[in-house]
Amino acid sequence: MLRLSLASATVLACAVPALAAEIPIGHLADQSGATSDVGVPYAQGVADALAYVNRKGGIKGEKMNVETVDYGYQVPRAVALYKKWTGGRDKVAAIQGWGTADTEALSAFVTKDEIPYISGSYAAQVSDPTGASGKAKAAPYNFFYGPSYSDALRAMLMWAADDWKAKGKTGKPKYVHMGGNHPYPNSPKEAGEAMAKDLGFEVLPPIVFALAPGDYTAQCLTAKNAGANYAYLGNTGGSNISLLKSCKAVGTDIQFMGNVWGMDENAAKAAGEAANGVVFPVRTAAVSGSTAPGMAMAAEISKVSDPAGTAYRPVHYYTGICAALYMTEALAWAKDNGGLAGPNVRKGFYQKKDWVPAGMEGVCVPSTWSPTDHRGMMEVNIYRAKVSGPTDGALPDLMKAGTIKLEPVKTVTLPRKSEWQGW
Amino acid sequence: MATQSLIPAGDYRTTYAADTTIFPTAGSRYAVWAGLALLCCAPLVLDRYWLSLLIQIGYFAVAALGLNILVGFTGQISIGHAAFFGFGAFASAWLSNNYGIPVFFAIPLAGVMTTAVGLIFGLPAARLKGLYLAIATLAAQYILQDFFARANWFTGGVAGTHAEAFSIFGFAFDTDHRYFYVVLAYLVLTFVLATNLMRSRDGRALVAVRDHYLSAEMMGINLTRYRTLSFGLSAFFAGIGGALYAHYLQFVSVEGFGILLSIQFLGMIIIGGLGTIMGTLMGTAFMVLVPEAMGWITDAVRGSALDRALSLKDNLSFLREMAIGLVIVLFLMFEPDGLAHRWRQIKAYWKLYPFSH
Repeated sequence: MLRLSLASATVLACAVPALAAEIPIGHLADQSGATSDVGVPYAQGVADALAYVNRKGGIKGEKMNVETVDYGYQVPRAVALYKKWTGGRDKVAAIQGWGTADTEALSAFVTKDEIPYISGSYAAQVSDPTGASGKAKAAPYNFFYGPSYSDALRAMLMWAADDWKAKGKTGKPKYVHMGGNHPYPNSPKEAGEAMAKDLGFEVLPPIVFALAPGDYTAQCLTAKNAGANYAYLGNTGGSNISLLKSCKAVGTDIQFMGNVWGMDENAAKAAGEAANGVVFPVRTAAVSGSTAPGMAMAAEISKVSDPAGTAYRPVHYYTGICAALYMTEALAWAKDNGGLAGPNVRKGFYQKKDWVPAGMEGVCVPSTWSPTDHRGMMEVNIYRAKVSGPTDGALPDLMKAGTIKLEPVKTVTLPRKSEWQGW
Repeated sequence: MATQSLIPAGDYRTTYAADTTIFPTAGSRYAVWAGLALLCCAPLVLDRYWLSLLIQIGYFAVAALGLNILVGFTGQISIGHAAFFGFGAFASAWLSNNYGIPVFFAIPLAGVMTTAVGLIFGLPAARLKGLYLAIATLAAQYILQDFFARANWFTGGVAGTHAEAFSIFGFAFDTDHRYFYVVLAYLVLTFVLATNLMRSRDGRALVAVRDHYLSAEMMGINLTRYRTLSFGLSAFFAGIGGALYAHYLQFVSVEGFGILLSIQFLGMIIIGGLGTIMGTLMGTAFMVLVPEAMGWITDAVRGSALDRALSLKDNLSFLREMAIGLVIVLFLMFEPDGLAHRWRQIKAYWKLYPFSH
């Protein structure tokens, strides 16, 4: 008994990692929760990029000690992990976060503790660093790489209004917001509905479908009976796949508009022909197969977790890389300019305008953050998923054969309107 | 369950008061005082991470204590405890956010509100037993969870709600170092309360209901009353625990109170020992610390020779989850009476050393 307890105590004592002279970075990943379908490739991109920077010497010669933790998309777990990372001597210099609910929950904490928080959530609510807009609380330490959910939806609605005219249809097109009853799908709801009204859409009552795969025939029938023409899908790939399949079975004629997490190569493969024609915003200027100069470095980064270099990387992977590299460049600036304290790292994000991390030209979209505006980009690249046949077989083969294609449709550059900030 | 008494030979009790004392020996009393004194010093030496674990053990233990009164002492079953825990959390946040009630008062008030809810959901307990009751409490879990997601006025809906930091006369207990004392105070208070309850007439009635309800009824114990009461009591402790949790995280979200947490509460009291106050704390500590310990071990293995040899990589995190399950299963197989029982045996071992009998 005694021996057993002594032995286990020794094992535990040895197991506690004693890594002091490194820059601690926290990384919240959803690898098992409701959004893990897109959380896994994004987190892989972040982890690979940070490991790559470490291989190249780290942040100005100092390596990062990245702790990647799967928090299962559970807000309380994220808060508990945050407490762990910000306690004790090894307080993290920055955090790579994930979901909307946890990002919003942690926003007050990171503000108080002055910890830069680069999120996988693009909720407009955390894009106002001063709170001057009056529409959201001040979130001076929250950053994200990509157009906000609201801005992306605004851009898609602008495209939809043009699309309606281009198709020569008359009357008011009907718009419906669809998604789970969760902060993430709800985040752009009001902004989208307001924009749709301004653009002359008739706004239908929103339709709720869960943030997990399931049978959504009832929701599709509701949308069909209401005569919806354009529908926003607020969920991530997994549940959208189920919905698209149900809607195809029901025979709806709706132009679906996914959000940035709503569609990707994997979802298009899983949904098959049901995904054909879905439009969605892509946060990077290039997707797999592109010849943009930055793709060479992206391929190097990809080799961190896939030394053979054969793995197919979906759009979220590249976004993860960009999000991580913006952070490392801000850290590098801070290290040269007064140290890695939170306020300094935050300043690091403000140093350049229309800025792309070194080596990622043509992949990361030029972004600008300022002390009064954390909307990194107003440019929204809208793509369309094209599925032209059965999607059995490996994804790289399907992409190579052109069975699944991501076609650029339009790039909308939104005006940086102050009244749009924060919602 | 065989128990070995540590009372020295020749120590005869001549009054009921002496017989129902909390500490059978002076040594155990001193040990508790010394333990408390040590805990009071903890914030001076421990960092925020360790304190956060202790705080977690604290608020979960308060709630698990309620479940142990229900399951361990009264012999009822509940798989909806997390919902009451959540109700307490939301109630406390709601009271302090909307009515300006200081958190100091909001926590006990949340306990009272949760008691009321517990009594309502406890009503089926008057008529149902065993698995039937389990399913009735499962319904409570789902009804309350759905209520949390929809009642925007009360919980902030799916987006969750902010909870004020605990403060007294403007002094905010908003850091782990300070909040630790709040949780410790509540832990001591609730554990003393529960211990005394079990020594009282009502407490013995609850145990009688568990041991043989027919005999209990023949002795004049009102079964309906005590079964429902036990639900109310259990909800009270859950509510207090939930409120402590809310003001610690300063944010309450519906996601935290799923069925999984209910099962974890059951795990805590089963591992600690059904029907023991002390075991509740031990079981809670076990359930909170095992995942952390597994985390340390996987961190140590990550990137080591073992990791490379077996090319575990990302699978390590899954191994971790599986190992937690395995540890619990092994524990239940080899220590079904709980940690409290093992602790008694360790004490007896040293008491009787070097003779085993």
